[in-house]
Amino acid sequence: MKFLKKKLLIVAVFILIAAGINGNICEAKGRTFVVGFDAEFPPYGYLDENGEYVGFDLSLAEEVCKRRGWEFVKRPIAWDSKDSELETGAISCIWNGFTMNGRETEYTWSTPYVDNSQVVVVRTDSGIESLSDLAGKILVVQSDSAALAALEGDDATDENKALAKSLKNLQQVADYNSAFMNLESGMVDAIAMDIGVASYQLESRNGEFKLLDQHISSEQYGIGFKLGDTELRDQVQVTLFEMLSDGTFAKIAKEWGLTDSVCLSTEDTQYIDGGAVPVTDADIANVQSESVSDGTPKAVKLDFVGVMKQLISGLGSTFLIFVLTLLFSMPLGLLLAAVRMSKLKVLQWIAKIYISIMRGTPLMLQLLVVFFSPYYLFNVQTSYSYRFYAVIIGFSLNYAAYFAEIYRSGIQSIPIGQWEAARVMGYSRKTTFFRIIFPQMVKRIMPPVTNEVITLVKDTSLAFALAYTEMFTLAKQIAASQASLFPLFVAGLFYYIFNFIVAFIMDNIEKKLDYYR
Amino acid sequence: MKILEMNHIKKSFGDKVVLKDINVSVSEGEVVSILGPSGSGKSTLLRCATFLEHIDSGEILYSGKSVVTTDGGKAVYPARSELHQAQSNFGLVFQNFNLFPHFSVMKNIVDAPIVIQKRDKEEVYQEARELLRKVGLEDKENAYPCELSGGQQQRVAIARALAMNPKMLYFDEPTSALDPEITAEILRVLKSLAAEKMTMAIVTHEIDFARAVSDRVIFMDEGLVVEEGTPEDVIDNPRNDRTREFLQKLHV
Repeated sequence: MKFLKKKLLIVAVFILIAAGINGNICEAKGRTFVVGFDAEFPPYGYLDENGEYVGFDLSLAEEVCKRRGWEFVKRPIAWDSKDSELETGAISCIWNGFTMNGRETEYTWSTPYVDNSQVVVVRTDSGIESLSDLAGKILVVQSDSAALAALEGDDATDENKALAKSLKNLQQVADYNSAFMNLESGMVDAIAMDIGVASYQLESRNGEFKLLDQHISSEQYGIGFKLGDTELRDQVQVTLFEMLSDGTFAKIAKEWGLTDSVCLSTEDTQYIDGGAVPVTDADIANVQSESVSDGTPKAVKLDFVGVMKQLISGLGSTFLIFVLTLLFSMPLGLLLAAVRMSKLKVLQWIAKIYISIMRGTPLMLQLLVVFFSPYYLFNVQTSYSYRFYAVIIGFSLNYAAYFAEIYRSGIQSIPIGQWEAARVMGYSRKTTFFRIIFPQMVKRIMPPVTNEVITLVKDTSLAFALAYTEMFTLAKQIAASQASLFPLFVAGLFYYIFNFIVAFIMDNIEKKLDYYR
Repeated sequence: MKILEMNHIKKSFGDKVVLKDINVSVSEGEVVSILGPSGSGKSTLLRCATFLEHIDSGEILYSGKSVVTTDGGKAVYPARSELHQAQSNFGLVFQNFNLFPHFSVMKNIVDAPIVIQKRDKEEVYQEARELLRKVGLEDKENAYPCELSGGQQQRVAIARALAMNPKMLYFDEPTSALDPEITAEILRVLKSLAAEKMTMAIVTHEIDFARAVSDRVIFMDEGLVVEEGTPEDVIDNPRNDRTREFLQKLHV
């Protein structure tokens, strides 16, 4: 028994170290340029059919790194925490079809490189032909998106504010794939979004949808750096100009079907913040736009096996979160239960408050607190690998609270006579607990523990809040690039099979313990 | 020689006074039954004697050695190790057995001698088989408590208490959780123990049972010892009104 425990501990430590090393390698060498992007935003940055993060912005960034001799790191982030990611230095910049309008003073910006308009997508058969037809309809936008800012932000035009008022409802969704599902199923009437993304989606969804001719706004994309980080900004800017002058920029734009949208120009001599734009000695020529055919990349449709293959790479992460969380939260829960049942009122209350907070607030929020608090509270810069540790710490702390209560109910359900019989025979409290009470408790708590374990399997998907790429995050990314719900169903099937196995194992343990009543 | 001596025991639960200045002793080889209506304090007395409850004031001695004393009107309990030492004087058989359900019959009996008393395994197992034979369960050593009848479980509990080699055994209502016809099983075991001069103190409200095994009967009511003497004196010729009333009710 003791031997087994030691073994488990050693395995756990190895897994942690391995995970740590994995994350550290990238940070070890020279200058690292970490591009933060929303992996569900084709064609600027998304997961392709080979399981690679690709896109116009990533291609540009990769070329800049190549020329500068920097190490290039692509880091998918949760869009809602982009500012924290940038502020903590977890990423070097946000380069992801990032709208400058309305955010002028929040970041240190490069000059605009894409001119993008906010457009409205409707079903072809909806009868909506102009913006005024949207009155009384339901419009959906991505949360914290440029479209939302254009409609409701501080700088929104009067026309757009009036448009927003005329709507029956302005809804927000986390990603464009859900937006299209909503539109497709008729739950909403229109989507307001970036033209580039809209074209990509419309290309993938043959003729069901169309764009309104009227645009909500015209706006520009830039690369957002941490406020004050002008040095890095200038270096990237100069390299971009270099790429512009030798035609590489245009080539990449053509590759991604964005030739008509790009607007990077050396005629921009002033940044948005008033600073002068540096230009290299190199001869900078305005590259003539060749007339090119529309090269919007076509999404390669994946079949079941293709989706499964991609998801399997995320399954390992899901499994790791699952195993490590159980490994840490179960003993931690026991300790917490002991404190909760302590004779000292103070300890009792501490445990009570802890459990109440852990059960009373969303796990997703707890994960964010664990991840960002080292920086915000102690100003400690965390490495990328901390993302993984934060997931495990957050899950373990949360699940320990639930397990503690399960243990407590189990322990309290054991008749007091068991304690008394042991006491009269000279067992110490500790020996009584581990020899007499604990084994009986284990048997009694099997059903609620099984519930909790199955919930954990599904909860692992919450790791997306820290942009830790486990299976469900991956499924969402694939779904976005495939413009289809299918990958999510495949993920659902995986969860079901995983839980089926868990339930089978737990059932067997229960049967094994059935030798007594 | 007296194994147990309890002097001037007082015990209250909140405002309710349960034991009012009780004096009780049990001598070596003696079988004492403690009778009384429910609420008389007889079970509390036994729980105080076995340290499952703490007395408010008074004195408890085991084998002539003072264990619990009173200082300034409050009972003083010794350190854990000393209490532990005193505990080894007795075994306790519970009303509802309190066998460990996850242990087999054999393990229930040998666990404490091996784990707590650190005695030789082989010897303990041999002794346990002997005890099982004595209580008539030699074929049940691998069974689990849930597979046994109530009477059988109670006999295992007796064997478990005996395996610790105590100087005396306490029984807390040993037959009240059992069907009447099973009572005879337990009575037979107790009689054979009495024949071996095992010292026993039995809390019960079964008059016939008390008469059949006891050398001495203590009758308690409302936290006081009302009458004490041989079974013939207390049960058949009670002098106290309350004893008489109690016995009459039972005989109806």
